[in-house]
Amino acid sequence: MFFNNGRSTNPKTPPAAGRLTLDRVCKRFAKSEHAAIQNITLDCRPGEFVVVVGPSGSGKSTLLNIAAGMTRPDSGSASLDGVPITAPGPERAMVFQDHGLFPWLTAAQNVEFGLKMAAVPPSERSDRVADALRMVHLSGSSEKLVHELSGGMRQRVAIARALVMNPAVLLMDEPFASLDAQTRTLLHHQLQNLWGQTQKTILFVTHSVGEAVRLADRIIVFNTRPGRIRKEICVELAHPRVFDSPDINELAKLVRKEIEQEVNRVNALAAEDSWRPEETADLGASADDLGSGI
Amino acid sequence: MLLLTIWEAAYRIDVHWKPFIFPAPSHVLDSMLGMLGIPTGFGERLHPGWPAPLETEPNQPPLAWRIVHSQLIGADIVSAVRLIVGFSISIVLGATLGTAMWRWSALDEFLRPAFLGLQTLPSVCWVPLAVLVFGLNETGILFVLVMGSTFGISISMRDGLQAIPPLYRRAGLMMGAHGWRLYRYVLFPASLPALASSLRQGFSFAWRSLMGAELILAADRQGLGFLLAMGRDNELISQVVAIMIVMVIIGMLADRLAFAPLEKRVHNRFGLGTAG
Repeated sequence: MFFNNGRSTNPKTPPAAGRLTLDRVCKRFAKSEHAAIQNITLDCRPGEFVVVVGPSGSGKSTLLNIAAGMTRPDSGSASLDGVPITAPGPERAMVFQDHGLFPWLTAAQNVEFGLKMAAVPPSERSDRVADALRMVHLSGSSEKLVHELSGGMRQRVAIARALVMNPAVLLMDEPFASLDAQTRTLLHHQLQNLWGQTQKTILFVTHSVGEAVRLADRIIVFNTRPGRIRKEICVELAHPRVFDSPDINELAKLVRKEIEQEVNRVNALAAEDSWRPEETADLGASADDLGSGI
Repeated sequence: MLLLTIWEAAYRIDVHWKPFIFPAPSHVLDSMLGMLGIPTGFGERLHPGWPAPLETEPNQPPLAWRIVHSQLIGADIVSAVRLIVGFSISIVLGATLGTAMWRWSALDEFLRPAFLGLQTLPSVCWVPLAVLVFGLNETGILFVLVMGSTFGISISMRDGLQAIPPLYRRAGLMMGAHGWRLYRYVLFPASLPALASSLRQGFSFAWRSLMGAELILAADRQGLGFLLAMGRDNELISQVVAIMIVMVIIGMLADRLAFAPLEKRVHNRFGLGTAG
């Protein structure tokens, strides 16, 4: 196995690599009134599962792109294990919302792609591809084309494609946002197990509080316009979690309460006139999504 | 088929129609088979032994030999070779130009309007230019063909590359496909559906241009278009119609047997549904 084989979900010896550091990162896009992200400082410990939650347009994807090396910050710096991040690379594998699998390749060929680019010998490639597909429970679909896979299967292939490179950190950009609730829950379970097995550092971006509470060691709540860290919440619940346990629901309620004001502000921004949604004391499950399209 | 039967029947009943202006299907068939080295009497009055011709030349070489060495097959081969050579040049040139236009937006802004304009120019309009620059020869014909199909291929190639989801590029970069590898393993395969469609379209442009060029640039006395010009010069209306039918058949066969299946295969692979 090429993955870190630790089965413990709370490893006694944390992995040596995978410290992702963002130091006072700012980024403003041309033609934009507000900074996409402003003065973000974030330190992800090796093996930590950090979830950034915030409304769409809050710059959380920009943050992820900076960590991936796709976008250069205006000021501040990003580094992985002390090495500055300047370009995209397989040690910071990314899982995109719309999977980004190549439709001209089979599932296995998609997973193999990064290894091929890294000039890994073919015999080793096929072993690692088989391992990665096994980890996402898709060994039987390796020869299928992308359009023959369901939405959830595509995301699992995308995760396998990222894991096969044995990256130090996994960057996940709303990877389950376009899936139905049932598939999403299934993938939350799988991701939780994968994380336990591989002990990767994961930086996960979402607009779903429920998702954040299920998965995170630490939740970073984002403000929008400009994108700033509003609050950090450490989740002390042990892994693997039972997703409908009272603890989880209680915590979700707390986080929603915490961001209530921000939700209302986002909702107000969504209206072009003076219309305002009724402000409710308890936002309930409807506030789970912090708005996905302003 | 019914229409053809009625048409033919009209000829047989009423002999006052002039076959040199408006040929019967049997005259056309006669002419077509004649050009294939098979003399027949389809167009003749019904007689014992019809459709064999009334008079046969003695001491003919074997049928297979006659077909292979016939006027029509010879012309087809000449035209096909020109098409393959010219269309290959168009593909390479068009794909290169299209990629360059996609890559450098300044070039695109400069060339795109020009190409769109030149695309509206009927390809036979290149013939006078070809005659003056290259003379009445093979190069002139190839020039017209290339001019007729390259611009369309360039534009569709460029549009196809433009339409590649930016996510593929990001995914490729993330997995370590930098520089030429990004082109070879990500962008080129991603553009295949557009390329297949542009080839299909480009072929019909190329075929039309070639026929036009051969028709007018007939100085080398070869090719299908030249046979058409011959038919005109000799006032053989049945030959003219026969050659037109052959042109349609060849164009359709190439599309049905090569380009449509190619396009369909690529689109199926990409899960883009069935292409027409």
